Amino acid sequence: MRWTLWIVLGLFPLVDGHPTLKTNQNSLETADAALNHQSGSLNSVLHLDDTEKAALEPTRVDPAFPMKELNTSHYPATRAARVAQHYLNYHHGSPSKWFMVHDIKKASSEDIPEVGTKYHIQFSVQEQATKEIVGNCTAEILFRQTEEQSAPEVNCTCDDLLKIKTSDADHALYHHIKHQPEPMAGTDIPDSQGNIPKEMEPLWYLGGIGASFIMWQQSNESTLYNMAHVHSVKQLNSENDLLAFEYVVLLHDMVSQEIIHWHMQVAWNPTQGVKVTQCHLLPKGTMKQPSAEKHKI
Amino acid sequence: MKVLLLLGFIATALTAGPSAFDGAKVYRLKPQYEGHVEAIKNLASIIQVDFWSPDNEEMVAAHTNVDIHVSAEQAPLLETLLQQSGMEHEVLIEDLQSAMKNQFDNKQRSTAGYNYEKYNTFEKIEAWTASITAENPNLVSRSQIGSSFEGRPMYLLKLGKRTGSSKPAIFVDCGIHAREWISPAFCQWFVKEAVTTYGSDAEMTRLLDNMDVFVLPVFNVDGYAYTWSKDRMWRKTRSKNSGTTCIGTDPNRNFNAGWCIIGASNKPCSETYCGSKAESEVEVKAVADFIRANRSIIKAYLTVHSYSQLLLFPYSYTTALAAHHSELLAVAEGASNALATLYGTRYTSGPGAVTIYPAAGGSDDWAYDLGVKYSFTFELRDTGRYGFLLPESQIRPTCQETMLAVKYIAKHVQDNLY
Repeated sequence: MRWTLWIVLGLFPLVDGHPTLKTNQNSLETADAALNHQSGSLNSVLHLDDTEKAALEPTRVDPAFPMKELNTSHYPATRAARVAQHYLNYHHGSPSKWFMVHDIKKASSEDIPEVGTKYHIQFSVQEQATKEIVGNCTAEILFRQTEEQSAPEVNCTCDDLLKIKTSDADHALYHHIKHQPEPMAGTDIPDSQGNIPKEMEPLWYLGGIGASFIMWQQSNESTLYNMAHVHSVKQLNSENDLLAFEYVVLLHDMVSQEIIHWHMQVAWNPTQGVKVTQCHLLPKGTMKQPSAEKHKI
Repeated sequence: MKVLLLLGFIATALTAGPSAFDGAKVYRLKPQYEGHVEAIKNLASIIQVDFWSPDNEEMVAAHTNVDIHVSAEQAPLLETLLQQSGMEHEVLIEDLQSAMKNQFDNKQRSTAGYNYEKYNTFEKIEAWTASITAENPNLVSRSQIGSSFEGRPMYLLKLGKRTGSSKPAIFVDCGIHAREWISPAFCQWFVKEAVTTYGSDAEMTRLLDNMDVFVLPVFNVDGYAYTWSKDRMWRKTRSKNSGTTCIGTDPNRNFNAGWCIIGASNKPCSETYCGSKAESEVEVKAVADFIRANRSIIKAYLTVHSYSQLLLFPYSYTTALAAHHSELLAVAEGASNALATLYGTRYTSGPGAVTIYPAAGGSDDWAYDLGVKYSFTFELRDTGRYGFLLPESQIRPTCQETMLAVKYIAKHVQDNLY
């Protein structure tokens, strides 16, 4: 096994880039290939070949690639944990289930020459609707050193993830939306004062889960993304039994302080989970910005 | 005229006593021309004029409001003068004695009807600085430290028991970044707490007796107004940049602290544009000038931002540790712990450069290098769920818990004056 690891790592310089999910700056391939939703298991959903799978195997401590203990309060750990959060949300989130990192317990990193940096994070997450804390998550996050942005590769498991039971809520919501006479739509969620109409909350969550895919794909060691705002959401005609929505979301990167606008299409049903079927970056200045004026007292 | 004035003066002298403020009035004068300015200075040389704003007659200038307190006996004199000169004016307080009496009778000593649990427009906040000052003359005074790029006044409140001599001070600013609305909300809350709990809360009373607290409720007034009218996500100032249509400089990259060496952009279109030079922004210069002028009394500098739930201290422009790192860390951790006692809200403490990101040109680093040892940056709620769009329902709990942290720091400063 150990030999395999050495050979594999030796072969890395020969492996060019990244298969299914090549991300160039402006548009992402459909995540259809990326989503292999199996309840209870959190395998990486990238279609990796053996060499890449090996890179994500649990690391053995090796003096050639020393592990560096990280301060859990400092930003390298924070940024890596955020990537794991985005990954977790995309694979396990729903309009009733949205996770945020609660506490980072332990963090370390290793520089892998010619490859990048791999982080090991132990953390807890809090589900936003139920306020439940899922205590024991471990993640490995590999940031590759590439010329262009490439999505970090994540391996993440959480004990007790299944204790957050939202399938009833999800099914109820699904049926509620399916049986609406008119397609759902909304703008400015939250509004300038932070208000969200009750019926928009699930669409806000869904936007957050869909945006998690984009934020995961766009993350690197110099970013810290959050979804700042849902500019607009519009239900699309569903083929099959998936609900489909078109969103424009604002993402905030804490490091550059820039706010970027993404257009995305999101498909969802309770059994298959969330998929981002299309997305692209909107150029700065395309959208008229939300204004608080209508809320002046 | 002069005889009348003399009689007025004698009458004033004779009426000094326990109800010395019966019928006394506070006027807001609006001099437009040099003639008006002259008239005010003349008046001040003949009768007793208590200047509330600006601090004295030398600082009276056209196009700047002048707030003065005159006794009941002198009010008619003043009215005559105002009619003769045609100077625009208004009465802020009809009867100073009863306004003061109200202050002690009412639990609601803050401006009646003002809503501290909503986000308020710049105009509302500006008016509030006037009324909170007028209603609490023993504790609050207001001055204008400058004007913004677009000509809005920058009002600074000074809180503290008037003792006649200068006291050590804490400087607090809010709203450096326009979209961080919870920040000005906190400054308003802090002032409200000061005026309503002075005398009943031991900590607040001790603080305002022993120290002065300067509060700048909105630093970036143009940007803040812009978030209300045009773009809720605006961050920077609204100053023009040459050679581009991109507007604004990041005020917290514009201070003279390792200016623009790291974590800031030299591109005007960037959200972290450091400006054409340090203190290029008039708002930054106004604050820096004030702090420089008062550096001997300012012992702590607190600057309030959002979001991320962090309590940061120098340095951000370098990863080198500040000389007082251990003490600052201990204070930050103590303050964070105090904050958490109320609702369990978790804050992370640490130097800016490693806790959030390296960034040069920050106000906290600048104040620290100037000699203000206790220099802290707050990043308030939340951690990203709502981000900048923190619901109004969270204003109260956020402000309440943050008060605990600020009081903790203030206590440490008082116990460790230097």
